[in-house]
Amino acid sequence: MLKKLTQFYHPKTIEEACLFLGNKEQKTAIIAGGTSEALRQDNSIEALVDISQVKELAYINKDTAFFRIGAGTPVQDIYKSAALTGPSGNLLKTAAGKIGSTLLRNSITAGGNLAAIFPWSDMPLVYMALDAEIVCRKGKPKRTVPVQTIIDQKAPQFLDKAEIIAEIAIPCYGKGTGTSFAKLVKTANDYSMATVATRLSIKNGLIEQVRIAINAITASPVRCLEAEKMLTGQKPGAELLAAAAKKAADSLTIRKDFRASREYRKEVCEVMIRRALGEALEKAGK
Amino acid sequence: MKLNTKINGKAFCLEIQPNATLMDVLRQAGMKSVKFGCGEGSCGSCAVMIDGRPRNSCITLAGCAEGAEILTVEGMGNPENPHVLQKAFVDTGSTQCGYCNPGSLIAAKALLDKNPNPTAEDVKDALDGNLCRCTGYVKRIDAVLQAAAESKKTTKSTRGKK
Amino acid sequence: MAKTAKKETPKKAAPAAKVAAVSPIPESPLFFEKPEKFNQVNHSLTKIDSMGLVCGQQKYVADIDLPNLLHIKVLGSPHAHAVIKSIDVEDARKMPGVVAVFTYKDVPRIPRTTAGQGFPEPSPYDTYLLDSKVRFVGDRVAIVAAETPEAASEACTKIKVQYQVLKAVLDPEKARDKDAPIIHDEKDCRVPIPIFYDPKHNHCSHVETAVGDVKKGFKQADVVLEKTYYPHYAQHCPIEPHICIGYLDENDRLVLRTSTQVPFHARRITAQTLGIPVKKIRVIKPRIGGGFGTKQEVLLEDVCGLVALKTRRPCVWALTRAEEFMAARTRHPMVVTIQSGVKKNGTITAISMRIISNTGAYGSHGLTVLSNCGSKVLPLYRADNIEFIGDTVYTNLPVGGAYRGYGATQAAFAMECQMDEMAEAIGMDPIKFRQMNHIKEGESSPIFKALGEGREGVDMAIGSCGLSKCITEGMKHIDWAKKYGKPGNGTKRRGLGMCCLMQGSSIPEIDMGAVFIKMNEDGSFNMLLGATDLGTGSDTVLGQIAAETIGCKLTDMLVYSSDTDMTPFDVGAYASSTTYLTGGAVINCAKKVREQIVAVAASIMGEKSEDISIDDGICYGKGRKNKVTFGQVCNYAMYEHKQFQIGAIGSHISHASPPPFSAHFAEVEVDTETGEVKLLKYVAGVDCGTAINPQLADGQTQGACMNGISFALTEEYIFDENGRMLNPNFGNYKIWSTKDMPELVTFLVPTYEKTGPYGAKSVSEISINGALPAIGNAIKNAVGIRLTRPPYTAEKVLTAMKELNKSAKVTGKAAPKAASAAKAVKAKAEKPAVKAAKAPAKSAAPVKKAKK
Repeated sequence: MLKKLTQFYHPKTIEEACLFLGNKEQKTAIIAGGTSEALRQDNSIEALVDISQVKELAYINKDTAFFRIGAGTPVQDIYKSAALTGPSGNLLKTAAGKIGSTLLRNSITAGGNLAAIFPWSDMPLVYMALDAEIVCRKGKPKRTVPVQTIIDQKAPQFLDKAEIIAEIAIPCYGKGTGTSFAKLVKTANDYSMATVATRLSIKNGLIEQVRIAINAITASPVRCLEAEKMLTGQKPGAELLAAAAKKAADSLTIRKDFRASREYRKEVCEVMIRRALGEALEKAGK
Repeated sequence: MKLNTKINGKAFCLEIQPNATLMDVLRQAGMKSVKFGCGEGSCGSCAVMIDGRPRNSCITLAGCAEGAEILTVEGMGNPENPHVLQKAFVDTGSTQCGYCNPGSLIAAKALLDKNPNPTAEDVKDALDGNLCRCTGYVKRIDAVLQAAAESKKTTKSTRGKK
Repeated sequence: MAKTAKKETPKKAAPAAKVAAVSPIPESPLFFEKPEKFNQVNHSLTKIDSMGLVCGQQKYVADIDLPNLLHIKVLGSPHAHAVIKSIDVEDARKMPGVVAVFTYKDVPRIPRTTAGQGFPEPSPYDTYLLDSKVRFVGDRVAIVAAETPEAASEACTKIKVQYQVLKAVLDPEKARDKDAPIIHDEKDCRVPIPIFYDPKHNHCSHVETAVGDVKKGFKQADVVLEKTYYPHYAQHCPIEPHICIGYLDENDRLVLRTSTQVPFHARRITAQTLGIPVKKIRVIKPRIGGGFGTKQEVLLEDVCGLVALKTRRPCVWALTRAEEFMAARTRHPMVVTIQSGVKKNGTITAISMRIISNTGAYGSHGLTVLSNCGSKVLPLYRADNIEFIGDTVYTNLPVGGAYRGYGATQAAFAMECQMDEMAEAIGMDPIKFRQMNHIKEGESSPIFKALGEGREGVDMAIGSCGLSKCITEGMKHIDWAKKYGKPGNGTKRRGLGMCCLMQGSSIPEIDMGAVFIKMNEDGSFNMLLGATDLGTGSDTVLGQIAAETIGCKLTDMLVYSSDTDMTPFDVGAYASSTTYLTGGAVINCAKKVREQIVAVAASIMGEKSEDISIDDGICYGKGRKNKVTFGQVCNYAMYEHKQFQIGAIGSHISHASPPPFSAHFAEVEVDTETGEVKLLKYVAGVDCGTAINPQLADGQTQGACMNGISFALTEEYIFDENGRMLNPNFGNYKIWSTKDMPELVTFLVPTYEKTGPYGAKSVSEISINGALPAIGNAIKNAVGIRLTRPPYTAEKVLTAMKELNKSAKVTGKAAPKAASAAKAVKAKAEKPAVKAAKAPAKSAAPVKKAKK
């Protein structure tokens, strides 16, 4: 485990962190909560940049249009946050609260859960469902990209060596929007077999916008674009939701999982999507 | 490499391997209450408080605890002067083999530090990372609620050392 | 203040009376006196080690620092079945930090069993320190001792092994096929007692017994049902994995500080395996982090002993969690076929139980767990005709051992599901069906005598049975009358299920425990005993029994246990023995100590022994006119006159195994679209006789229930096609946390068992057996499916529901209603008779008698 590791850096600011990361003499890596098994198994890393003391990375704020969550914020804080409200807040808090256990939630961070994505990662598909924007910083300079970019390209490939994910910006959706989250798990602390996050906005009785984001049953988080298209602009109803759920489930590339058969997971995922859409619709109406 | 950290209120400067886990370092420093159960952050018997947060020390690199304040049950109380939670565990019969107790006590303390009026659901939520195979958890929930009630009763703070 | 002793005037010696020589071999009483009131016993006194545990002061195996400590890693086999054609450890030996590497060529080859049982063990001697053959994935290949755990692991990767991979036996139902590869083809495996053993056909054990004639019984029945149940693999998951430290003490003796339930068996079996005398070994059990049976096994001690002796350095071997799952011990998975006949009026006419037990690669506990399937389950219900045929087979899979419940778990699952099936078939309420058939106080069962552990059992009548009250109170708690049979017709359906259980208390006439008590001058006592507290609180419980008997407080009883040098013999913690068996030894010993105290007190006060009474550490003379404290008594005996050490040793063997009884109830909600089963409420009522410590007994019940519940719903071993476990970690082997808890209600129904210490029976095992049948029955009640292959995962539930709906459509029958609807009664002459003829071929082909 981390056989070549010789040194830790403990930056106090984002600029310091990027400086250490960009260090050309050593193979560096960023570490936040440190729960990533992949990180621990990497025997080429020579120095770790520990960002747990960078105060300007741990916050949950709200401005007029966005909730802004520092990438170094433990997801436990998201789970218990009074500041996160409305449909976005609900989705973020529900998902965060179902991650692992209290002990793990105090280690896993909002950004860490995005920087290395596994099928069981819970926050990335939530960020997708909410059309989150990711603010990256390379020292002072920053760039903001849709979360889809990071998910498609994967953070280690997308980010520059000296660049970090600094903030997740989540649009504040208001009345007329509902969200839902569900996991197929055997116990509360379990690697998910299928995770579903949805957002649905109603305007003038029609579905204005819908997001269906899936992970765990797939190898990485995906949106069910065809199903979303099928629903957009339509009048919501039980039959339509069921048809969309079927379309969504059919569109998934289901990964291998020794815990349950492909057929079962697909069948249940469809049920989960249908129920999730129904729940989001109901909440949108409130 | 050197690790500077505060354990149970005392400053330590330890010589450690860079890839050492916090669990191993704490045990080597004499905190034997920190237990090995799985080494993968699933059972919680290694849980310690790091800067006020209860975390699995077996998957935390010791190097990440530089400058941190760490609490283990040795710092919560002793048989002569036990923490209200330790006493509650004893009184309610929440201790059978005891192996998971230190981690559970840390998680319970973290809860009461933030929420002095927890419900049973709050307690179950806070202790959800501490697996126990002996007790079935029932008495443990009672213990934490009892400790919360005890803490409110006394006028001077019995919440023990931070 | 101590009274000055009256100097005794020497009397003239009376003529020696003719007294019959009293044998120094003690007789263990069958009954114990019932006191007028309980002073210490039956009180929820504080567990004596709990404060030390919560303060991190109590020490487990790993919690001592030894200088120069070596770390052991054992290379495990990647193959389920292979011969080691060559093994080259030279590169490994040269690695920095490596001190020693051992292969089968470097160690004695002495066949033995790892099962922690009394000698001679009723388990085959088929296990070796190291062997040139490997028989399951994870089996020992080589031992490495190094300065650090990393160096030891690294060295393991440098060991070059050439395996000849053999075909593996992975299906217990095919293990005895003609062309099945022989797992134990070595010449030197054997059984130490004359029991059945046919390893050359992978046939480890055979047990059979019969009462009456089941064929006749089936003919008398109105309905004959046959079903096969498949209780599954599980691991105990003690939060502390196995760990052992070995070192040489000042006298060059080998000390093994080990996480064990059986210190004395560990000493004996380690001595046997290493070929050294027992007197060279001391085994110490400090606090341990749970066992549940996996530590009733001598798994690590031989390796630590070997390394400590050869390197002359202290060493530690700690299993990883993955090794705990794959290479420690498991529950024996089984194939249990029950054929039962019942009359419309509810009389059970015949029960045939046929079992194939999968012991994995080695046979430890293979016979005794199998026997318990019959002995701890069949006596529960009255039937004139009973047949039990059991066979244990070898496979190239993880090794079954002792696991809380010990065969009763597997058989009770099958039997209690079958009881519901029978009730449904005759249109009777499942509780009424059980109430009319279960054994009652004063009754006996021929099975008690027929099935022992490796030998004949012990006949007994039920002396105490609180099962009726467990049932009626439990019904109230779960709201049975209101909720049973009312699934509703929503997407989520609810159901109730229940079961009745019995277990045993100790292994009569076989196991022994002993206790030594000495007095200190402040009126306190040291009690030294071999009995093993694995977190169960036996130190406390036995301390309470001692305090009760002597007449002092628990806090004056200083308990030291499980050290083979210091404490007298005890078989260890298994078979629900400690309270019932060792408690008897405590009383036998404490009574002698009390007699001595009384005699000294009488001497001090110048009174007669028979006039002395004791109350809370004080000895009172006639009419309570005079008194002396325990401290004064001991001071006197220690320092003043006719000095002697007040103390005694007492032993006990039990002559019965009185069953505790229990009734469990479960309420579930089944999601008909996903198959997910949510356990809403679980109720368990237990009759353990007198609860020596009600709080601890309650805690045992709660822990056992939660263990049984996760066993029923989420615990499973998932293997690949080569016999490798895919999920040897808590991430994918799911035990429950606080967030998964149902509403759990437990209660004790006190009875008084005259053969037990202060009326006690046992409590620690029975409640793990309830969830598998109770939840299975509840699922049946909710959605009409009978699941026979637990755990009841969502996929299995959904698949079964779909199959049921499909067959309902085919037959044109209505969708299944709640189980209270009467099913068509089968005619006597039907197919089942044919099935009965087929089944024996499956289970025992042909039925073999024990080999002499």
